[in-house]
Amino acid sequence: MSLLKEPPPGVTVDVDQAHTKLTEWVVHMEGAPGTLYEGEKFQLQFKFSPKYPFDSPEVIFVGENIPIHPHIYSNGHICLSILTEDWSPALSVQAICLSIISMLSSCKEKKRPPDNSYYVKTCSANPKKTKWWYHDDTV
Amino acid sequence: MATAGPNSSSSDSRSESSNNTSGGAEGEEETPDNSNFECNICLDTAKDAVISMCGHLFCWPCLHQWLETRPNNQTCPVCKAAISREKVIPLYGRGSGNQQDPRDKLPPRPPGQRTEPEPQNGFMPGFGFGEGGGFQFHFGIGAFPFGIFTTFNNWGAGTGGVPPEMERELPQLLQYILLIMAFFFYWNLFFG
Repeated sequence: MSLLKEPPPGVTVDVDQAHTKLTEWVVHMEGAPGTLYEGEKFQLQFKFSPKYPFDSPEVIFVGENIPIHPHIYSNGHICLSILTEDWSPALSVQAICLSIISMLSSCKEKKRPPDNSYYVKTCSANPKKTKWWYHDDTV
Repeated sequence: MATAGPNSSSSDSRSESSNNTSGGAEGEEETPDNSNFECNICLDTAKDAVISMCGHLFCWPCLHQWLETRPNNQTCPVCKAAISREKVIPLYGRGSGNQQDPRDKLPPRPPGQRTEPEPQNGFMPGFGFGEGGGFQFHFGIGAFPFGIFTTFNNWGAGTGGVPPEMERELPQLLQYILLIMAFFFYWNLFFG
C-alpha cells in the first residue's frame, strides 16, 4: 500500500469507499502547481476485474469536474495506452495516477479531443471496449 | 491518507486475486529487506521464484499467467524486455527442501472464464458494433433505399426521432414483401 504511504503529490485514495467495495476505488487528484490544472480537483474511478493485475483496471474520470484535455473525453474516458494494450501487471494504482498527472501537467492547451462529441455518443460505458488509437505522445 | 494505518496493507486487492498467500507478511511491518524479494506481480514474497534475464523477480505462477495472457507479445512486466519461459532462471534458496524447477510444476489452474453480457440498450441502438445491428442488416440486403431509411432513423433515435421500437414492430409480412420486391428488382436488372 505504498499509495497510502507515499502517494504522488496531490493524490489521495477514498479509503472508506474502497473498504465498502474492494473492487471499486475513487482517487482524489489535484492539478499540479504550475500547470494549466493548478488548483483544480478531480476524481478518478478505478474498477478492478477478477483478472487484475493480469488485466488492466477500468479507469475513468468521474464527478463534476472532468479535466479538459486533448486525451480526455467529456464522459471521463481517458486515452492512455497503459490502460489497455501497454498494461503491465507490475503497474500499480500509484503508477497509473502518476501517469495521468503527468499527462495533465504536460498539456499546453486546454481542449477536448477533436472527435469528442461523436465518441461520447457512440462509445460503450466501459472505456476498455473502445479500440483506442494511440498516435500522439506529445501530451 | 493519514487516516490509514499500516494495518490496512493486508487489504490490498492483489493479495486476494493471487493464490499464493502463504507468505507470513500479514501483521508484521514490511522492511526494505523483505520488499526486495517481493514478486513484481502479486507483491507477496516470491514463491517458486524465478528471475528474468533483465533481473526482475516473480513467482513462477504469476509470471506464467502473464505469459499466457499475451502469448504473442511476451514482455517483462517491469521493463518490457523480451522474456520467455526458457529465459528465466529459477531461484533456489537454502530453505526450499526439494529443489524442483518451478517451471516443471504443473501450471496453475487456469481461472474460470466469465464474460459480462453485452448491455442491451446502449447509447444508440443499431449503431454500435454488436447489439441491434442484425435488424439493420436485414433491410440493407434486400432494398438499398430502405437501408438508408433505417440508418437515418437510428441516427435520430437519441434526439427524439422515430423510436427504434416502432421499426421493430413492422409486420413480418411487410418485410417479406419488401424482400421479394427487391429480389425481382435485381432479377430484372441482371437478367431482364
